[in-house]
Amino acid sequence: MRARALVLGILSSTAVLAVGWQLGTQGETQPAPDAVAASTAGTSTPGTPTVTPDATSTPAPSASASAAATAAPAATPTPTVAGGVSGTFTGTSVQTRFGPVQVQITVADGTITDVTALQLTDKDQRSVSISNRAAPVLRQEVLTAQSANVQGVSGATYTSDGYLSSLQSALDQAGL
Amino acid sequence: MTVGVHVFDTMGTTVSLRFADEVAAASVLDGIEAVFREFDHRFSLYRADSELSRVARGDLSLTRAGAAVRSAYADALDWARSTGGAFTPHRPDGVVDLSGIVKAQAMDAAARVLENAGEAHWMLGVGGDILTRGTFHGQPWAAGVVDPDDRGALICTIGFTGTRRALATSGTAERGEHIWRTGGLAQPHYRQVSVWAGDIVTADVLATALLAGGPGRCQEMLDRFDIDVVAIDDDGSITATPGLQRARGLMPA
Repeated sequence: MRARALVLGILSSTAVLAVGWQLGTQGETQPAPDAVAASTAGTSTPGTPTVTPDATSTPAPSASASAAATAAPAATPTPTVAGGVSGTFTGTSVQTRFGPVQVQITVADGTITDVTALQLTDKDQRSVSISNRAAPVLRQEVLTAQSANVQGVSGATYTSDGYLSSLQSALDQAGL
Repeated sequence: MTVGVHVFDTMGTTVSLRFADEVAAASVLDGIEAVFREFDHRFSLYRADSELSRVARGDLSLTRAGAAVRSAYADALDWARSTGGAFTPHRPDGVVDLSGIVKAQAMDAAARVLENAGEAHWMLGVGGDILTRGTFHGQPWAAGVVDPDDRGALICTIGFTGTRRALATSGTAERGEHIWRTGGLAQPHYRQVSVWAGDIVTADVLATALLAGGPGRCQEMLDRFDIDVVAIDDDGSITATPGLQRARGLMPA
């Protein structure tokens, strides 16, 4: 479910994910729809999604510092008895705010089980994960504006202007 | 340690401008006040004579409004697109309301005045939004994120280093909801969202978008934009992205 949500999230900026969606709906053994190449035109050269039979042993994608994608060697998908395609699929590189990015999906029985974004601009040309996630945190200490050694405060805008102004005003007057 | 503070009221809120050393020359301060005044006159829906109020009443067609209004509206539409509609310049009644973006744009314009004047070390706070340049006597400028449940307390403090120069917070504390939420009442909500970004427009717009979109849209925004987030859920639990999980006052759960 999370993978599906993530796919949705990246979809608009990374056309390579067309691979994933195509996979979700198509037949057993066609993991490399031509639509991928077409939809990434302009930011990358068409590439063939890499298919690794073993989902856990993914080859490092060929890195490229430019926006142009490096076509990865094609492999054969592994159809399973259950009827869906399985494997790891790496899309072509597209230009994003991180620089060139490739998206990799893991598919089991025709269902996406994981989506990973790979960044290709690491200085050693290695692929690195770029995921940025919000995770639970706990409060470690009680901080007050008076004691925390801050010069400004950020709070809910519009609704709390009066209070924020007075808090900021106190800081201003203290010349902190 | 010296600190120069210049405070003035505008756009229905208070501007706090701090300099690490002496306050900038009077002409620079005048220029900054003029920037905010101009934005207020043009965009405020609280002023019956503003250009945007005339648009809202139907006295002036948006296509005939001045270039500044059309440009701000175009920017807001771009943000609506890039946030998948979580940010919107349209009120439910159809009125074009650019207040979600113009305060940050005014701060941006004020920053240009300061930079053109050669001011390298300052913190600009406007109604809870913060933009900084340089350092405070060699230390990062620091701001606290206010606790919505205890307005005298801070959730955490954030030091402005590297390219993260802006912090904005949106919330529903005190006077109830002011953000038009997407997704209905059954969805989980954030009570307060702070966004730490490279520029104040991104921080401000995305804080609004995340508050409106809720936790269900958070990952999508994190994938699309280069930001850090600290957010408080309806039940008071706090989540943060890696860049803020160890901000002073917080620790990973």
